[in-house]
Amino acid sequence: MKRPASYSLRRRLVWLLTATVAAIWLVAAAVVYRQAHHEADQLLDAQLMQVADTLLAIVSGGEVEHFVEELQEHADRARVPIAFEIWYGEHGPMERLVTSPGHGGFQTGATLGFSERVHQASLWRFYAVEDHDKEYRVIVGQAHAAREKLARSIGLSLLLPAGLALILMALAVWAVVGRSLRPVEALAREVGGLDAQALAPLGESAVLPNEIAPVRAALNALIHRVNQVFENERRFAADAAHELRTPLAALKVQAQVALRAQTDEGRQHALSKVIAGVDRMTHLVEQLLTLARVDPANFGATPEPIDPAPAIAAVCADLQSQVERRQQTLSVDAASECRIAIASDWLQIALRNLIDNASRYAGEGAHIEVKLVRDGTNCVISVADDGPGVAPELRAQIQDRFVRGEVDSEGCGLGLSIVARIAALSGARLALGDGLPRGGGGRGFAATLRFRNAADSPSGSQ
Amino acid sequence: MRVLLVEDNRLLGDGLQAGLTQAGYAVDWLRDGEAAVAALSTESFAAVVLDLGLPKRDGLSVLQWMRGRHDATPVLILTARDQLDDKVRGLDLGADDYVLKPFDLDEVAARLRALVRRAHGRHEPLLTLGEIELNPAARTVVRNGELVELTPREFDLLHLLLENAGRVVTRRTLEEQLYTWQDAVDSNALEVHIHHLRKKLDNNLIRTVRGVGYMASAAP
Repeated sequence: MKRPASYSLRRRLVWLLTATVAAIWLVAAAVVYRQAHHEADQLLDAQLMQVADTLLAIVSGGEVEHFVEELQEHADRARVPIAFEIWYGEHGPMERLVTSPGHGGFQTGATLGFSERVHQASLWRFYAVEDHDKEYRVIVGQAHAAREKLARSIGLSLLLPAGLALILMALAVWAVVGRSLRPVEALAREVGGLDAQALAPLGESAVLPNEIAPVRAALNALIHRVNQVFENERRFAADAAHELRTPLAALKVQAQVALRAQTDEGRQHALSKVIAGVDRMTHLVEQLLTLARVDPANFGATPEPIDPAPAIAAVCADLQSQVERRQQTLSVDAASECRIAIASDWLQIALRNLIDNASRYAGEGAHIEVKLVRDGTNCVISVADDGPGVAPELRAQIQDRFVRGEVDSEGCGLGLSIVARIAALSGARLALGDGLPRGGGGRGFAATLRFRNAADSPSGSQ
Repeated sequence: MRVLLVEDNRLLGDGLQAGLTQAGYAVDWLRDGEAAVAALSTESFAAVVLDLGLPKRDGLSVLQWMRGRHDATPVLILTARDQLDDKVRGLDLGADDYVLKPFDLDEVAARLRALVRRAHGRHEPLLTLGEIELNPAARTVVRNGELVELTPREFDLLHLLLENAGRVVTRRTLEEQLYTWQDAVDSNALEVHIHHLRKKLDNNLIRTVRGVGYMASAAP
């Protein structure tokens, strides 16, 4: 795909405005020219008629000889724009009496009134008139170009100042637009000067026009979000350092204790702790890798809707032995007809973490219940236990990375973060609440994933 | 030498307790900040090994609380956070030293010895009194150039008395410093250890201050 060329708003505005105004003026000038042409036609036709009538009146008055001489002299001195011929014929064919100088005679026919013909290689307009005895005929003519010249000069007299005004206008637009865009340049400079390592919101003190203020507001909102993500990642890096170094320190210390142990019993104890430490470290590394894999970049397009029941059954079967080791019971109720748009792998990771959490934190002998139900247009998967539960004020925190529900747990504090991330990427809602009723009163803990039922949505395929 | 270990990680706490016990310390291990504050408000320790990331009450907050009540017990901080500001804050709040996880057991033991030594205003690693020379790092006692065989408990008792040479150390302090909560303390165990020490060393070194405790001093 070709990248669209960049353009300057200022230049574009100057061009567009100037071109539009110029076009409007050109149209106006064309109209004026036409109008002027029409006026010139009428004016010059009237002039032709007047000249012809005057000439005819003079020659038919009888002073022909003298008048012709005078006229000849006058015409020799100054070229008149209007050419004429006078014809005379008392009782027979007419003959040319006089012709204005410079005009070799019109090839006029007998048509009286106005006519147009080519004369001396250009278009002329003629007017012919006769006296009532049909003795004298006067023909006057004028090159058509004269009228066009007149009309053009009227049109041009309008266009010339307009052209000058256009240049002035373009300069004014250039200056005004530049001035108006100054806040944009200032904003761009401010954004350009931001330190990527420490993004500070743009100053709100400078007054911005209403059109640009939303840009700054949106940028500030973005900076705020980026800072949050950045802070989150920074904290994660610090927390990960802590969470990785502590078990490593434990491994090293336990190994050193084993080396130095005076008794077999002491050595056995330390070595068994080393193995337990490696197991915990393995779990931590696996959870970290899972968290890294559950990333928008790996999510791709919306997956095909699947029936979650087989995934639930597979995960429960996998975790059965772990649950039994802790004398816990696991019941599954996943009969309902549901389809959700999620990759099966991801659903299994989320479920494995929820059930594993329930098993880790609910304590020995607990009961864990996994349920899939349809609730209106939603598919709801819940994992509930009858363990000690989580205080409501802690529920928001335990979704954070490396936050454990309880001090004495074997977990690494990443499970719910992984589930929360999968939920967010799959458009599901994760809710933490009360679980199953406990023997001694109170309730355990429950995590609920609420998916949109893909079979109900218009885009979902059956 | 009794130290309080505050560490929430079970494996690390267990290992440090075992390792420091091997190095000759009596180690009491607590796993959260609140419990540490409770213990520190009633008992005295030669030193505190404090993790920073603790449940219930943060390590730095425990440290601040200690220094707020003018408790000068040396504090060694265990931290996994290598960011400079964490170290600076810890030291500013009154920590005496810190080690970065993962650390070496020997290093922790050595730093603890140095902290205890400095807390008593000494600069030499060896404790000497008259003909007696005690080496806390090697856990050896030499008298007139000859090695004296002592049990760990006897060594710790002598160490305590020499650290406070010239001052009376009460029975209660001695017992607190020698025994952890797990140790079953016989009512006359202290007398027995003192008796053995006097036999192995110079008779005039340890004096009984009736009704109060004991004092180590060079023979007049």
